Parts: sequence; structure tokens; C-alpha cells
Amino acid sequence: MTEIVTSQTPPILHGPSEKEKKYDRQLRLWAASGQAALESANILLVNSGAGTVGVETLKNLVLPGIGKFTIVDDAIVSETDLGVNFFLDESCLGKLRSQCCAELLQELNPDAQGDWYPKEKASVNLGQILDSMPMYTLIMYTLPIRPEDLAAIKTYGRKHQTPLISIHSAGFYSYFQINLPGAFPIVDTHPEVEKTVDLRLLHPWPELVKFSQEMTKDIDSASDHDHGHLPYVVILLHYLEKWKEGNGGEYPTEYKAKMAFRKMVSEMARTNNPEGGEENFQEAVSAVNRNVKKPQLEQSLEEVFDHKLSNEVEMSSSFWMIARAMKKFYQKNGCLPLPGGLPDMKAQSSVYVKLQSIYKAKARKDALEVLETVRSSPGGKDVDPAEVDMFCKNASFVKLVNATAEGRDFKQILQQEKQNDELAEAIGTPLSLLPIYLALSATSHKPLASADEIKADIVGIWPDVADDMRVMQSSEEVARAGGGELHNISALTGGMVAQEAIKIITKQYIPIDNTCIFDGISSRCQVLRL
Amino acid sequence: MPVKSALPPSSQLPACPVQHLPLGLSSVQTNDRTHSRRNMDSFTSVEPDFVLTHAPQAKVLMVGAGGIGCELLKNLVLSGYGEVHIVDLDTIDLSNLNRQFLFRYEHIKKSKALVAKEAAQVFNPNTTIVAHHANIKDAQFNIEWFRGFTIVFNALDNLDARRHVNKMCLAADVPLIESGTTGFNGQVQVIKKGVTACYDCTTKETPKSFPVCTIRSTPSQPIHCIVWGKSYLLNEIFGVSEDESAFDHSEDADNANEIAELKKEADALRKIRDSVGTEEFPQLLFDKVFNADITRLRSMEDMWKSRTAPEPLEYKTLKEEAPVVDEAFLQNDQKVWSLAENLAVLNDSLDRLSKRKAELIKETKGNSEPPAITFDKDDPDTLDFVAAAANIRSYIFGIEKKSRFDIKQMAGNIIPAIATTNAIVAGLCVLESFKVLKGEYEKAKEVFLTPAGLQRLLAPDRPRRPDPNCPVCSVYRLIVYVDLAYATLDDLINGFVRKQLGYGSKDLAVSTEAGVVYDSEEEDNLPKKLRELGIGQDSFITVVDEDDDDTFVNVILSIHQATEPLGDKHIKDLEPDKAPEIPRKPKKVPAVESVVASQTNGKTHALDEDPNDGNNKDLKRARQDDSEIVRLPKRLKTTTQSRGDDVVIVDDESGTGAIVIDD
Ligand SMILES: [Zn+2]
Repeated sequence: MTEIVTSQTPPILHGPSEKEKKYDRQLRLWAASGQAALESANILLVNSGAGTVGVETLKNLVLPGIGKFTIVDDAIVSETDLGVNFFLDESCLGKLRSQCCAELLQELNPDAQGDWYPKEKASVNLGQILDSMPMYTLIMYTLPIRPEDLAAIKTYGRKHQTPLISIHSAGFYSYFQINLPGAFPIVDTHPEVEKTVDLRLLHPWPELVKFSQEMTKDIDSASDHDHGHLPYVVILLHYLEKWKEGNGGEYPTEYKAKMAFRKMVSEMARTNNPEGGEENFQEAVSAVNRNVKKPQLEQSLEEVFDHKLSNEVEMSSSFWMIARAMKKFYQKNGCLPLPGGLPDMKAQSSVYVKLQSIYKAKARKDALEVLETVRSSPGGKDVDPAEVDMFCKNASFVKLVNATAEGRDFKQILQQEKQNDELAEAIGTPLSLLPIYLALSATSHKPLASADEIKADIVGIWPDVADDMRVMQSSEEVARAGGGELHNISALTGGMVAQEAIKIITKQYIPIDNTCIFDGISSRCQVLRL
Repeated sequence: MPVKSALPPSSQLPACPVQHLPLGLSSVQTNDRTHSRRNMDSFTSVEPDFVLTHAPQAKVLMVGAGGIGCELLKNLVLSGYGEVHIVDLDTIDLSNLNRQFLFRYEHIKKSKALVAKEAAQVFNPNTTIVAHHANIKDAQFNIEWFRGFTIVFNALDNLDARRHVNKMCLAADVPLIESGTTGFNGQVQVIKKGVTACYDCTTKETPKSFPVCTIRSTPSQPIHCIVWGKSYLLNEIFGVSEDESAFDHSEDADNANEIAELKKEADALRKIRDSVGTEEFPQLLFDKVFNADITRLRSMEDMWKSRTAPEPLEYKTLKEEAPVVDEAFLQNDQKVWSLAENLAVLNDSLDRLSKRKAELIKETKGNSEPPAITFDKDDPDTLDFVAAAANIRSYIFGIEKKSRFDIKQMAGNIIPAIATTNAIVAGLCVLESFKVLKGEYEKAKEVFLTPAGLQRLLAPDRPRRPDPNCPVCSVYRLIVYVDLAYATLDDLINGFVRKQLGYGSKDLAVSTEAGVVYDSEEEDNLPKKLRELGIGQDSFITVVDEDDDDTFVNVILSIHQATEPLGDKHIKDLEPDKAPEIPRKPKKVPAVESVVASQTNGKTHALDEDPNDGNNKDLKRARQDDSEIVRLPKRLKTTTQSRGDDVVIVDDESGTGAIVIDD
């Protein structure tokens, strides 16, 4: 190593690193934590079939800086490849498609490390390769595929708990399907900022009550200026107490009571001023519906609380330790930890800042209580406080994807979609895209099947659809494509698949559950749990 | 029925060729599958055969070779389009490389249009790619030129250029496919004159500006202090002078005294500007803007009746606490600096900027004004200066400090952008182009990416009809042949508009792109030559009928130099039997004013790469279509902050905090 000689005052290399500059526009979506997850990810693409959609997907992962990728593909580049695949050129003809694509993709981003199999022209034994390779963060495979290769991927996925994404693009149609290994929790779901506001008006804590009481003790004799600058949180807390006095200690949580409470608050606004009203009271009135409500568990969090840990991985995961501590907190306090944010409101700056600090302090205290519970549980000593903070801030929006095996009765889904279609024709809603999925699936292992063969295959498994016109039409379109991809459809599909892959890798935002079917003729897609 | 691609493989057209299937699946190629499906109407809308035969003959224009542009160019080339023109003035920046995949590290600072052409050309030698490293608003790209294209694609990042291309496509009657992205959101729209709504059929938000007093005297939000640092302080010290575009002067008259004081303040600041580079400068500047000016403001007691008064700072005491800022410190973008740390960064950035200034002065050798250093979000010296100055000011006014990362976004109008969204949007653009090629506008879709709607992801919607009140597309357009050497405004208005177009004695207002040149109270320009009024070849002139009854729609005249002599009239008459039938405006319906509190102002944010570009979509628009019912998610929210008397509305893109300000 060479020592870098510096003068007395070291020259400053200013600003964020080159890498941060390069990724600046996406860091604003998933922050440094998401970027770190991407950079440590190792992705496998089994690039079967016509080979474009997989490479287009990979392109959208290499650009944002995926750590490593490997392409398995034993096809040799032919003329037809050149017409649809942007990552192959004339010089690739006759060479291994895996190597050519990996090298051209690698050029897109020197930060990503690309590899390929097989190393020489020969057919591959995927099972053998998988056994000899490192752990993958995610495996993507494109259809049509050899049945034994598919089996090898599924075996690997089960054994290593690896998320799998299958992708099939043919003609104007495509679909992709995500298979997650068991329940997949996401804490950083990026809910809309305004939804995350929790003022805890019906569950105030002593510091907030004290602050509010002090501000309102002379509310009726306060100067117009002071009265017109009471923050709406304080106004509501004051009148909620008043309401309780007149209503047997009950809060106005039912619709009728809420309306009466709103009326009460709006009547307390002073109108004998030049403006003929008070903005802070208007804010208070319009905040009633959203903020005067009993704490209630979101269904998604209820699923988290009710989840039964099913394996080793779950037992030792910090997510489930925090979830258990969170449940304890909820049972003890009757509410979730306070997120701590305070929306803007009319108030004097100093008062607003004080109120803001009361909310922040409470949020810190709640988070600390959860952290202590976590720390005192077995194996909880090493849990990162930042992870607890994040969980507390997002508690209401934590999502468990793929929580149960429910919703996978294909026959039932088929009937449901058929019923919807009957209604759809009458009211003009879009028709189901399930027939496209059926037709594509029928060619999972035989791309050159004729329309009749596809139909026969589908009807063989689902006799109910024998007379379904749309299944017939989809079969004909898939047969016409003959396993060929349209670049544009594959590029578009590749964008959608990569989007979901990024959500899975970064564990941010909620990925679709679990199949997205795209129809390039109507520019439309449908998501179904299949 | 026509059979699938009969073209040889070397033509590289994306029919649905039977691919070689790897992994030993099959090697049989069947090229003769016919298709016989005529039952579903929708199937006929994009027919591969049709695309195959028409795309190679089509000549298309792509305006913008950025995020969407790179994807689009690749898709156009691999969809077999015959001729693609690219126009882009931009050069490649490091922050483009996370998505603009035609560009590499070694291309930084090179022309986007030229590099994109080079990179894409190899993938289909049959496509002619023509690159123009130029501004789409240049005179060479006139209506005639636009008319030469089958389809125009907008892949732009700013409102101004989008509106320009929209206008040109309407004037040339060429279909336009408009697209934009913001983070995971995106949108594609087909614009065809008289058939679908144009870009300007919905009002677009103009760049945000703030009252001078909010920025200079009574800031209440971080953004006010950031604008102060960027548009006032930086410019006064290192730039030309006050960046006026940031300020809204409409309230100046109400605050005349304060405005006069502020002018004095700025003059005094300009005086200490001469000390830039000296050892005393940092303290001189600090004492001026963070002490003296604040002390003066504080003395204005009326101002602080309902606000917390600002606290002046002492340079000496703060300097003692200021740490040494090193590389590691400045690398941490996300940390919110302490007050003393902000001072350290401010002084450090002052040092760097002063040296640059000295260098610039040396280069010009005093012969002319040295070039100004202006704010650039990717220039760390200016960013550090603005971030530190804004934070110190925030501290003084009791406003929350921000990290440099956040300040960069707010000051630089940064909109998040990723490869995936661009790939989806570009793919949708090409799908729509197939329908346009076929002239099937009724099947075209306006598609929104709806990342929050996990059940659909895409929301295709029937295209909107043109707004009959749209000032851009619901107008009557006409070419006027003029002898520019002689023609006066009088020739045009009294000789042509009133006599030939049938305006007679109607009340008129006539304007050029620069403003009104004639109305009932402004007739002084009549004897002037058109040229003196800045009207020349390809100028647009708008004629507005000011009568309340039987009102003509606005008429837009495109000025062309006549090729034959025109005699005394200087303007070519219309063909005798071809007097135009100018449509009438629909009767005005009084607008319903919202009287609810300010938080119901449903302002929305741009769906663009650039927030300047307030693409103000009515998100609640829920139209029914033969196949779709769409309820668009509320992508954006409006926060209303109202402390004191100062109500400011800031549009904040949910989650990402992109704030619209001027740039
Ligand atoms: Zn319009």
C-alpha cells in the first residue's frame, strides 16, 4: 500500500461520493439502506426460452447497482436473437448467449459483477450448477423451460428459502409470478405521509394533557390573538374533555356524536373579528373525522400479531422479536407506540415547537419501552435500536406479504373471474386476463404448441373453460407467437418485474401478491394471487 | 389472412419470430402459422402485421434522450421504425448513469443525442437515426419540419419544452405521444389535434415563487431559507445579482417600507462583496446577514406580534465551537449539522468559492465582468454554501434545519428517477404508437402507472376529449403570408384580420409571444412594421375576440414570408371563396369558487422528471371507458402551513419531499 502524502491541511474532497452522485436519483426512493441491500444482493437468472425478457429485467437491476448477477443459459446466439435482444450484437453470433449478455450487461455498470454458465458450449445440468453455487438473494427464471430445470430451481428455492420469480413473455402477452418462501414481512412500506399521523387525542399522556390544560385554562378570556393561535390539537383536547363531562365520560367516536362534537367545536370559534372566523378552529373541525378515533389495529398488523412462527429462520429473526415486543406494548398500553410526527397547523412558532417536542419525546419513550422488551427477550441483545425505531414509526403499516396459503384455490379463482366477467360485460369493467395466463402456462414447456394443443391442454385440466371464447382467443394468440418475444413487450415486462424484485431485495414498499398478467393489446395488467 | 413475417431475418424486425429455444426444448421453426381471430374487437387494434409493414416507413421524432428517451430509442429501433430523429440539448451527467443505459462513464459531458444515436444504431442498421444536439425551440425546427414526421414522442423533463412541442405538433397536425415519470409514477398520453386533449388542456402549475418579504424578512419554513441562500445570498456574493425569478412582487405595494429597507440591505451586502477572498470576509458576511440584518428585522416590532422574533448570532462565540470539517464529515450527506458545524461548512465553502472567483477574475484579466458562479445542485461548493447558510438562517428564525441531502432535493428540484419506471413508460409509448400508426385514436389509452394500486399497477384510461376552452388546442390556426419588409401591424389587423377573417369592428386583443401589441386601449403600434414588434418568419400571433357575444375562439396566425410580390397590401388575401369559418367559444359558465379553508386546495404535483413542470392533472378525474373504470390514487398531498399570518402552500410529493420552487 502506498501512503498518500498530504500537506498540513488535508485537501477536502467535497460532497458526497461519486457513487452517491451516480445513484442520487434513486437514493431518494429507497435511501442508503435500500441501496446497501441492492449492493449486497446476488441474483440468478435462468435465461430460458427466447431470452429477451430475462435480460431486460436484469438490465433494470444492474443499472441501479445490484451486487452480483449470474446468467445460466446454454443457448447459442442466432440471427433471431439479434432482432429482439438489445444485449447481443453481430459479433455474438454463434457464441454463448449467457456469456455475451452477461458481458454486455456488465458494461452498463462496473459496480455490478456478472458471471455466466455454462463456461463452454454444452448443455447444462442446472441441478448440479445450483448445488455448487453460493446463496442467491433471488432467483428469476424465464419460460418456456425444461421441466427438469424448473424442478431443480424449485428444489433449491425450498431448501434455501429463496424468493423465486418466473417470467413468461410471448407475442403481445406476458405474465410474471412471485413465489416467496413463507411469510415475508416488510416494515418500511412507505405509506403516504399524511396517513402516518397519529395525534392520540383519545389516548393523551400526562405531558400532553398538562400542556393542553395550561394553554386552555383561560380560553374564554384569552385575547383574540391568543385564542386564534391555539394549535388545533390543543383545541380538540380541551373540547374532548368538555364533551366527556356532558356525555357520561364517553368520547365522541360514533358518527352522530362526531358530528355533534364538530358542531360544538365550530361554535366555539370567535366570529366577532375582522376575518369573521378563526382558521385554527376551522383546522380543528376538519381534523375531527380523521383524528378522533379509537386506536384500532390495522388488519395487516393483526396478521403480524397472530402469526405463528413456523421455522428456525423466523424464530431467530429480529423482525419477529420486535413484533412480539410490539404486541406486548399494545396489550399493555392499549395503543401502538407513538410515531411522533406532528402535522403543520396554525400556531405561534414557539408553541408549535414545544408541542412538537412533546410528541417527539413521547415517541422516543415508547420506542425505548419496546426496545427494552426486545433486549430482555432471548437473543434480543443484538437487535439494532434503529430497526426498533423504524418498526415503531411504521407500526400501523407493517405488512406481512404471503402471510397464509389462502387464496390459492385455482378452481375457485377461475370461477370467480368468470363470474366477474359476466358482470363486467354489463357494467363495462375490464375483463379478466386469466385466460392469457392459462394459455401462456400451457406453453410453459412447449413453446411451439398449436392453438388446438394449447386449448386441449387447458381444457384437460379445467374442463369448465371448454366453451370460453376468451380462452380460445388467448390460445390462438399465444400459438401465433410461437414462443417468440416482441422486444417492446419484453422490455415493458422487464421493467415491471425488476420493480417488484427491487421491493423484495430492499424489503421496502409492498410487492404484488403474486401474479401480474399483462396484455399488450389493451395496455393493461391484472394482479391475481395464484 | 396475411402470414406472419415474410421478411428475411436480417431485417431484424420484431415480428413474432419463432426463436431458437435453448436448453434443448426445440429447434423446429414453424414460420407459417396463420391467425384467424376476428371476434374480439380489441385484437384488431395492434396487429403485428400492420406494425411490420408501416413502422419501417414511418419517420418519427423523439424529443429528449434522457431516462425515457434511452429506453424509447431502444424500443423504437427494435420495433423496426424506419427513421428516428433525436433532439436533445443536454450533455451526459454522472447522475444519469443509474438509468440512462445508452451512456457510460466515459460519455460524461458529451451530447446525449449523439451518444444515444451511436449506441443504438448498431442494433438495427435498417433504422436511420438522425441526432440533433440542439434546443427543440431553435428556429430550424419549425412547423414545416415538424410536419415531416409521422409521430412525435416527447421524452422531456421540463414544462417549457413540453408545451412548445405540444404547440408545434398541434400547429403541424402531427400526433404526439407525451410521457413523464416521477419515481415509481408515470404517465403516457396520446395527443392528436381535435381528437384528444392536448398537454395544455389541463392547467399546469407554474413554478413556485414566494413574496419577497417571506424570503427576506419573515421565513417560516426551511424552503424559505433555502431560497434565500440560493436566490439571494449566493447571487449577491458570487453571482450577477438578485435572482428575480424566485420572487413574487405582487405584494410589494403593501409592504413598501419593508421593501425599501430590503433594498438598502442588499446594497450594503454588495459593498462587502469586494472583500471576497480576504481573511476578514467570512466574519464580515456573517456579521452582516446573521447579525446586523437580523437585529434590524428584530426591531420591527409589528412584524413579531404573532411570530417568534429572530435571534441575531455572534460570530466570535460560534466560531470557537466550530469544528474542523474534513472529508469524512462532508461525505455524510444525511446528517443534520449542528449550528457550529454549519458555520464550519459555510466558511469552508466560502473559501472554495472565493478561490474559484479569484481564478475566474484572473482568466478574464479584468477585461470584462468575470462570469458569475451560480447555483448548481451538482456543484458541491455552491450546494454546501446554500445548505449551511440556509440552516444558520433557519436556526435564527426557529425553523427546523435540514440535511444537505434534503436541501439538495429542495434547492435543485430533484425528482427521483429509476430505470424500471422508464422501461415501463417507454414500452407503453411504443404500444400507443402502434395505434397511432393505424389511426385508431379511439383505441388509444392514456395510461397511468399506479404503484400504490397493487391490484392493477397500470391504469389505462380512455383519452380525454380536447377542452373546448383550452387556449392552446381549441383555437383556430391559420398561416398568413406576409411581405415582412413592408407589412405593418395596421396591415395585419385592419387589412387582414378585420376584413379577411370577418372580425369587422369586434373588440380585439392581439399578442405576440412577448406580450400584447394591440387592443382597444393600445393602438400606438399600428403604424409600426411587424419586424419592429419582433414578428418574423414562423412567429405566432394570437388574436383574442373580446366581445361577449358570438365570440370567436382565439385565432393563432403563423407568419410566413410570402414568396411572391403582394403589392400595397403587404399581406396575401385569402382565396375568395375560402373565407375561414372560425368556431365560436362556448358560453362561459361561472366558475364555482371554493370557500373552504386553505387545506382543501387540491394542488397536485408534476408527473415529470422536473418539478418545475407542474403537470397539474386532476387526479380525481374518473372517467368510464368501454373497458376501464379508473380511480387514480391520490399521489400527492398538499400541506398547508400557517403560522402567523403567513400562509404558504407547499406542494410536497408524498414520501419524497420534492418541493416545487423556481430554479
Ligand atoms: Zn388543449
